[in-house]
Amino acid sequence: MKWLLRLYPPSWRARYETEMATLIDELPPDRRMALDLFRGAFDERLRAAWRRIPEAPLTVGGPPASFRPFHRHPTTLALVALALVAPTATFVILSFLTYELGLTALRTIVEPALISLNESTRLLNLALLAAPFLAFVVALAPLVGIGLSRASTELRLTLSFHARTANLVVIALCMVVGGILAGHIALETLLEAT
Amino acid sequence: MSRPATRDPGLLVLISLAAGPKHGHAILLDVDDFAGVRLGPGTLYGALARLEEGGFIEPMATEGRRQPYRLTESGLAALRGQLGDLRGAVRAGLERTTSA
Repeated sequence: MKWLLRLYPPSWRARYETEMATLIDELPPDRRMALDLFRGAFDERLRAAWRRIPEAPLTVGGPPASFRPFHRHPTTLALVALALVAPTATFVILSFLTYELGLTALRTIVEPALISLNESTRLLNLALLAAPFLAFVVALAPLVGIGLSRASTELRLTLSFHARTANLVVIALCMVVGGILAGHIALETLLEAT
Repeated sequence: MSRPATRDPGLLVLISLAAGPKHGHAILLDVDDFAGVRLGPGTLYGALARLEEGGFIEPMATEGRRQPYRLTESGLAALRGQLGDLRGAVRAGLERTTSA
């Protein structure tokens, strides 16, 4: 459970990691504690990013204050996104190969999976459908920055995009898988309606 | 309706430290004992950091790997202020519900 402390900002870890690790050692590990640590890390990351915005008013024509809360671990977030989308992507790709490209040899893998999915809970189906969209957000988050600058009397908000190959590949995968799924669902709904 | 009267982690930590210095685990046990609230380590340390940043608590000499904290003068004043506000609300609530 102590590995979750790595999600906290470096300045936080330098100050509190040792004593938090001691406390975690003293408590029975459970899902509630993991969620609490996740939420705490997210909260501290936001606070750390917020602190980087200068408190003094921005000067006219001065440099923009940038706000990039998730920029520190883009590759880790790309891997997390990949892990999120992997089950759905595998299923969609195998189905595509089997039914669209006619690789019937794959039926022995795909059809039992389809049957068990039909018999499984709606929550699992929903999770498989939501995974590409959630993974898309996770992979995109470290690439997006918000800048705040002052031009004459108005405040200007700018969005910036910092491309990274690993994240872009995962984003593309999420878009393809999400697109195929959305198209498939839309087609089925249309066919059922007619 | 069995929800604890307050879930504000900062206030709960201040109340706990008002009884004397404590380290993280002792605070968790104390808060669970007097308020019935089970704080997680992330929530606890979020509250401790805010309170330390505000000068309401301060760390003491470490005891092994444990870090005890104590209330400062301004922490005690802030706690009295918050409890005073709560007392006003509780009094008003009691008056209204008993006269209803």
